[in-house]
Amino acid sequence: MSVSPKPEPAPELRPSTNRLLLLAGNVERKRLIAAHPEAVLVSARLPLRANLTVLENIAVVPQFRRGMRVAEAERHALDLLERVGCADCAYRRDPDLDHEQRFLAKLLRAIVLEPTIILIDRPGRLLPDTFYPRFLKTTLAALNGRYEQCWIVDYKWNAPLYLPPGSGTSA
Amino acid sequence: MLIPRPSPAQRGHSTLDPWLQAASRVLHLTATALAGAMSVSTYNRATREVVQKQIYFTAWQILPGFAAFVALLSVVIIQIVGETARDFGLYAYALEIVIRVLVLEILPLTTALFVALRSGAAINTEVALMKIHNELEALELSGVDPVKFELIPRVVGGTISVLALTAVSIVISLVLAHLLIVDFRPWSLPPGDFTRVIGKVFDIPSMLILWCKTLAFGLAVTVIPIAAGLVTPKRLSYAPIAVLRGMVRLFFALMLVEIGALAIAYVR
Repeated sequence: MSVSPKPEPAPELRPSTNRLLLLAGNVERKRLIAAHPEAVLVSARLPLRANLTVLENIAVVPQFRRGMRVAEAERHALDLLERVGCADCAYRRDPDLDHEQRFLAKLLRAIVLEPTIILIDRPGRLLPDTFYPRFLKTTLAALNGRYEQCWIVDYKWNAPLYLPPGSGTSA
Repeated sequence: MLIPRPSPAQRGHSTLDPWLQAASRVLHLTATALAGAMSVSTYNRATREVVQKQIYFTAWQILPGFAAFVALLSVVIIQIVGETARDFGLYAYALEIVIRVLVLEILPLTTALFVALRSGAAINTEVALMKIHNELEALELSGVDPVKFELIPRVVGGTISVLALTAVSIVISLVLAHLLIVDFRPWSLPPGDFTRVIGKVFDIPSMLILWCKTLAFGLAVTVIPIAAGLVTPKRLSYAPIAVLRGMVRLFFALMLVEIGALAIAYVR
């Protein structure tokens, strides 16, 4: 089963691919994560640096990894935040964010690392107050072309949430 | 019936073990920090910014208050030493005593304690919370080496701050010593003698001991809190214990450095 975001890739970038992986339980989930060390996790157990703003949390990665200038790294981070409609949270720190903003900051921190796979681990834990299948679809569509692959790892019992509207229990 | 808890010795380790382990961690972290601080690869744009922030928060932000405190302390001690020396008819030696006691011993230790209480405690708490909340692991998985990004810059910034604040405190106290002992009482010590006494006290061995001691203070006030924070178990209730342990160890380390420096300076 896969979620297909609206195909609107940036002209110079290859379209991103998204996969939905519905697993039977926690053991399978751990096994999957262990089998893919190349994947960068977006997970509830990997928080943002509390003393840095959202912008700094994202910008520090290219600064540190590629020696990018502070202004350039922050401009890039701000561009990504604008894409997902979260530019207003750029100068907030973790305790001042809601779950959606925190998730977006974590996702963008993973994207700037430019991994082959971004693995969103149990979105229900990251977005407890949101109907997350729709939110993920919209967010990933907005970021299409900015990453290679995104895997959404969820449990099988949440499968009905991912059904198209009108076909079951999903909203 | 209460079951007696086994003593540390019965559990197979002595009460000294935690202290020895802590000392070994501190030495290891000091070596890592020194190696990292001297390596060019440590200094990218992100780490330089952390060093700048650390210096700003540890030294620059507190400079006015610290300078006022040092001035007050210096005036009081210079007056006490001056008056006491006069009572014993040793006023000619007052300046040398002031420099030896205040400048070489009291001010470096006071500066280290000041920074330890202000920034050492903050660093200890921050590192402990970073460990508890998994922020260090998250940084590492984001491709940012936490040792290079979070820990070494704090050691570098904190050590530079202690050295700089000590230098500032020495300058302030020397100016005040000149004012109070030479300028206000010109009959007691001519200005040429001031320079001569400074030259006599600040000989090369004394300068070496002073700055090595200050460097050791600077390393201690950052490395020991970081080492204490890094071994915090991942439970929030352990945060105060980590800070308490770090601060107690830091106090003893500062005192040991001071005693060691005194022994080297005066028992030779």
